[in-house]
Amino acid sequence: MRRPVSYLALLAAVALIYLFMLGPILITAVVSFNRSDRSYFPPRGLSLHWWGAAFTPQWTGAFVFSLELAALSAIATTIAGLPLALAFRSYEFPGKAAIQAMTLGPLVLPSLVTGIALLQFLTLAGLGSWIGLPALLIGHVVICLPFSVRTIAISLASIPVSAELAAASLGASPGAVLREITLPLARSGVGAGMIFAFISSFDDVNLALFVSSPRQTPITVQIMQFLEFGFSPTLAALSILSMLVPLALVALCGRVVGIGGYLQQEQGHA
Amino acid sequence: MPEGRMSEAALELRGLEKRFGAQTAVAAIDLQVQQGEFVTLLGPSGCGKTTTLNMIAGFITPDAGSIRLGGRAVENLPPHRRDLGIVFQDYALFPHRNAAENVAFGLRMRKLAKTEIAARVADALRMVRLDGLDKRRPLQLSGGQRQRVALARALVIRPALLLLDEPLSNLDLKLREEMRSEISTLQRRLGIATVFVTHDQDEALTMSDRIAVMRQGRIEQIGTARDIYERPASVFVATFIGSTNLVRAKPAGPPSEGLVPLATAAGPAILRLDRPLAAGADLLLAIRPERLQLTPTGTAPDGSTAWPVRIEGVTYLGGRLEIALRLADGSPATAHAMNLGAMAWQPGHVADAWFRPDDAWPILDGGASDGAAP
Ligand SMILES: Nc1ncnc2c1ncn2[C@@H]1O[C@H](COP(=O)(O)OP(=O)(O)O)[C@@H](O)[C@H]1O
Ligand SMILES: [Mg+2]
Repeated sequence: MRRPVSYLALLAAVALIYLFMLGPILITAVVSFNRSDRSYFPPRGLSLHWWGAAFTPQWTGAFVFSLELAALSAIATTIAGLPLALAFRSYEFPGKAAIQAMTLGPLVLPSLVTGIALLQFLTLAGLGSWIGLPALLIGHVVICLPFSVRTIAISLASIPVSAELAAASLGASPGAVLREITLPLARSGVGAGMIFAFISSFDDVNLALFVSSPRQTPITVQIMQFLEFGFSPTLAALSILSMLVPLALVALCGRVVGIGGYLQQEQGHA
Repeated sequence: MPEGRMSEAALELRGLEKRFGAQTAVAAIDLQVQQGEFVTLLGPSGCGKTTTLNMIAGFITPDAGSIRLGGRAVENLPPHRRDLGIVFQDYALFPHRNAAENVAFGLRMRKLAKTEIAARVADALRMVRLDGLDKRRPLQLSGGQRQRVALARALVIRPALLLLDEPLSNLDLKLREEMRSEISTLQRRLGIATVFVTHDQDEALTMSDRIAVMRQGRIEQIGTARDIYERPASVFVATFIGSTNLVRAKPAGPPSEGLVPLATAAGPAILRLDRPLAAGADLLLAIRPERLQLTPTGTAPDGSTAWPVRIEGVTYLGGRLEIALRLADGSPATAHAMNLGAMAWQPGHVADAWFRPDDAWPILDGGASDGAAP
């Protein structure tokens, strides 16, 4: 069979995309096993030395802080996003359009700008002491909220209204309808929003650059600061670690919360 | 429910109204459903059936009017306190729960004991012949099975009133007829007052104690299937249910012994009516095609109305023949004849079309009936 030229071109394009996406990551991973203190590729001799250096308090502290911050951000974002998404779906209220715009606004704003704005606001408001965890948390909720509200709204929209009406007609109070029908059926959206918030927070460096404090610095900012003194294979190790955490999380929660899996299972039996 | 209420109507609507913006979806509906009665709301899509049902259920608030369930005013009760069983057009099963859990839901909300819930769920599933499928999720059930789960879920709470919104329209023809009789049987056995919504006249005619024919947010006529079919109150009712011949007519003299003479576009006619017609009224005479019979000219029975007609065409429908006619004034009409094999009507033949005094019904031109309707 002769393959058309366009097919081969597509194949080449896809291969290039993967090469550019995965290539640097692979190179970074390999570099972290260098014996030398320079980042040679291919590595000159193998060693776990740099990985050992990555597991010193200087780095693990920031790493754990990042994890804590991401977890808090994910929870806070969901706590704020769920009621918003529910309200946007079910109610007409004064100022709805404005609140919607404000919620979804940061989506189009570079997080760098949000970071600068937050820093200035806290300084002007005399809340300089919030810089560190509280400010990072606020900033990350602002950044993540649009995604959270969107994903929850999408899963809410897929719930047949009649299922909720049926529940009400069967004696379920509005609270019971929410608990028994709406939330269980929206859980994949809520879960996806939560994971997304966790990863966005964990990955963020733009906003964190402005509102971190010396004692409360996420790993991303720590790496940035260290980079000013040059690259070391430790950074390569740290980068790989920071990449694995969100990946593992997606895989894990994909199973636990069942993003998509829920639907697949249903259709599989149909 | 206290004894005293059993004598009350299961449902009473008075002056029920709902507008959406400038559009009136339901306009001043009055309706009573007695205990154990099966009432159908029949009408074309968009005539306000679902809106009416949603107001009864409490899903939307009426702009005016009152709703009583078993004598109790419920306008201000939220849906979860109205004690109704509802079957939705799309069944509205809970996709994340299996059949038994779906059926158990209303009982759980009523905080019944686990053992009683289990017993009643098993009963309900057996009642709709779904025993053995209790662990299946909705998506693992066929359309008919989902329908049965929805029915069991609505009935297991022993509601005071059952509401069904086009429950059969998503099923294929054979299943639809099966479920039709199943719902009817179940309803009679349980003696539960039921409001059934459909746009399908066959469903309405076969299932209902009474039919309310709706049009543009109003009830155009309410009565038994026979009332609706044989004594339609308006042209809309006459043409929406079955097909009918409509012939212009006017009263042609005073009634004698219950027989009223009419002058029609097709010739003189005689009707049996229990009430007089207003003199000079513009009427449309409705005659069902199966009541219009053909016979050689001059051989119609005494006391019947016989009109000269010309046969335009004969359509073979198997069990019967559909015969296209032209009346004296040139207007078209249709007669149905049993296919008895020997019938030899051919296009071009001239014959008499005849009907008995009870076989036609006068409708006031412009809508309402002549006042002879019950
Ligand atoms: N939520 C709504 N908003 C605006 N118009 C509506 C709404 N619900 C129904 N309508 C309108 O009211 C009329 C009656 O609708 P409905 O009760 O659903 O009719 P049916 O069930 O008889 O088909 C229709 O013209 C429909 O477009
Ligand atoms: Mg409808």
